[in-house]
Amino acid sequence: MALLEVSHLDVGFNTQLGSVQAVNDVSFQIKKGETLGLIGESGSGKSVIGMSLLRLLPMNACVKGEAFFEGKDLLTMKEKDLQKIRGERISFIPQNPTASLNPLLKNGLQVSEVFERKGHSKENSWKSALKVMERLMIRDPGLSAKKYPHQLSGGMRQRLVAGIALSLQPELVIADEPTKGLDSLTRGKTIEFFKHLEGDEDRAMLLITHDLDLAYEICDRLAVLYAGEIVEMGPAGELMDLPSHPYTRGLIKSLPKNGLIPLEGRSPSLLELPGGCYFGERCCHHKKECSCKHPQLKNSGAWQTRCHLN
Amino acid sequence: MFHYLLKRLAFMGLTILAVSGLTFFLMNIIPGGTAELILKHTVLELEEIPTSEQIAEISSQYNLHDPLYIQFGRWLADALHGDLGSSYILKKPVTYLLLLRLPATIYLALASMTIAIALGVPLGVICAVKENKFTDYLLRIVTLVGVSMPGFWLALLLILLFSVTLKLVPVAGYGGIKYLILPAIALSMHTMAVTLRMVRTGMLEVMNQPYIAFATSKGLPPRYIIIKHALKNALLPTLTVLGLSLGYMLGGAVVIETIFAWPGVGSLLVDAITARDIPLVQGCVLTIVGIFVTINLFVDLIYTYVDPRIRYG
Repeated sequence: MALLEVSHLDVGFNTQLGSVQAVNDVSFQIKKGETLGLIGESGSGKSVIGMSLLRLLPMNACVKGEAFFEGKDLLTMKEKDLQKIRGERISFIPQNPTASLNPLLKNGLQVSEVFERKGHSKENSWKSALKVMERLMIRDPGLSAKKYPHQLSGGMRQRLVAGIALSLQPELVIADEPTKGLDSLTRGKTIEFFKHLEGDEDRAMLLITHDLDLAYEICDRLAVLYAGEIVEMGPAGELMDLPSHPYTRGLIKSLPKNGLIPLEGRSPSLLELPGGCYFGERCCHHKKECSCKHPQLKNSGAWQTRCHLN
Repeated sequence: MFHYLLKRLAFMGLTILAVSGLTFFLMNIIPGGTAELILKHTVLELEEIPTSEQIAEISSQYNLHDPLYIQFGRWLADALHGDLGSSYILKKPVTYLLLLRLPATIYLALASMTIAIALGVPLGVICAVKENKFTDYLLRIVTLVGVSMPGFWLALLLILLFSVTLKLVPVAGYGGIKYLILPAIALSMHTMAVTLRMVRTGMLEVMNQPYIAFATSKGLPPRYIIIKHALKNALLPTLTVLGLSLGYMLGGAVVIETIFAWPGVGSLLVDAITARDIPLVQGCVLTIVGIFVTINLFVDLIYTYVDPRIRYG
C-alpha cells in the first residue's frame, strides 16, 4: 500500500481577478521510502501541491480531492488530528529558509519548540535542539542556538530549516525547492545532504524543484507539471533519458549541459486556460486535434503521458 | 550606539529649543496686552479697565518693554540654569507648580495606557483570528467610533451616563480610584481603538508570512503560534504608536483634564494660557515637549531589545 495517495487534487485561489486554478486533477502515489520529484517551471503549481497536503495554504485557497496518508484523508481530517501528523509524521522543508525562520526568536528555540510540543521538558528539548544543530554541521551549536536567524549564513539557515523538519524522524518529507536561490557551493552541499537523506530506507520524500539535476540525482520517480497538471510521470532515469512529452523534452534540452536551448513562448495564464492542450501553442509537433481536445493522461505500465501524439 | 545617542540628544535639545521659542513668540503676538491681562487676573476684576499707570508699573516690573528676543534670551538663560521663573498670577516658582501637578498627570496617563493596552492588544488579536466574521465586524465598528469620536464628547457622555444618571462615580475632581475611572476611560478610548486596529492589521500581515506556515508545519498548536510567533512580530509597529500616545497623554491631555477638573499639567497649561502667564506657559510646554521627545527616544531604544535585527550605528 502506498504511504501517500493523492487523487484528483484541485487547488483554486479566489482572487480579485477571478478564480485561479493552480492545480488541476493531480493524482500520484508515494510508497514507503520512495522519493517522488515534482518538476516544472515557476507557476506550474508544484509548491501549491506540497503546501496543500499539510493545509498550509492561505485562507483564499479552495482545495478539492483526496490525499490519503495511511488510510486517512489529510484534506478533510480534523485540524487537531492533522496537527499530530504535522512535523512528526509528515514534515515540510519550505523554500526561502530566510523568510521561514521567525526573525524575533532564537535559532535554538525554533528547533527546541518541536521537542517541547511532544512533552519534553524545556531543558531536554534544548539539549535535543543542540544535537540536531550539531548533526547539521553548524559550527559551535551552543553559540549559534543563542543567535537569531539573521546572524547565520544562508547555507546554515537552509540546513537549519531542513534539520527542524527532520528532527522528529518523519516518514514523509515534503521538500519545497531546497536549492532555490543558493550559490553553487551551498547548492552542492544541499544536494549532498539530500542524497544522504534519500539513503534512509524508511523515509519517503516529495521533492518539489525546478532543479532537474537535483531531481535526476535523488528521485526514484518524476512527475512533470505544466499549468497545474501532470503531463508526464515515470521512473526518473528513463524519463530524463527518453522523455516522451514534448514539454519534458523541451525542459531537458534547456539544461546548460544539453546546450541551453530555451523553450519558446510562455505558460498560459491560469485565469484563462486554452481549450485544447495547455502546451499546444508552444509545441513544435502541434496537430489540429491539439487545439480542440484536451488530452487525457494515458497509462503505459509505470509511465503516464498526457499527449495526443503518443 | 554612543554616537547615535549623542546625535539624538542634540536633536532633542534643538526640538525643545525650537518649540520653546515658537511658543514664546506666539504667546506675545496674541491680541491683548500681557500687562493688561496680568492685572485683570490679579488686582482687578475681569470687566475693569486698567489705567495706563497700572500697565506701566506692571510692564516695568516684569520687563515687558524689552524687545521679545531679549525677553526670550533672559528666560532661556535662566532656564538653562534650572530656573523657570515665577508665575505672574500665582506668584509661585514654575518648577514648584509643575512638580505639584505632574503626579496627577502621570497617574492618569498610566491608568489610560494600561486600559488601552489591556483591551487593545487582545481584542486586536481576536479580530485578526476571526477575520471577516461577526466579532471582527462588531469590534471594527466599535474602534471606528473610538477613533472618530472627539475625546471631550465621549467624556461628557460618560459623565452624563455614569455620574448624572446612574450616580456611580463623581462628576469630576481628584482623589481616590473613583475619580480616576471616567477620565481614564475617556482618555484611553482613542489609543485603545488605534492599538486594536494596528494589532489587527499587523497580525493579519504576519499570519501570511512563511515563518507562520513553517511553524504550522512543525505541528505547533495554533494558540502557541499566535502568541509566540505572530504577536511578537505584529506588535513591532504598534510600539511606536503606543510611545506617541503615551507622550500625548503625559503632556497633552489638556481637554480631558479640563473637563474632569483633573489637577494635571494639561489643565495648568490651559489656565496659564488664559491668564497670559508666560513663564508658566513656557514651563508647561517645556515639560510636555521634554517628556514627549524622551519617550520617543526610549521607544527607539526599546526596539533594539525587542527586534534583534535593529542596531543603531
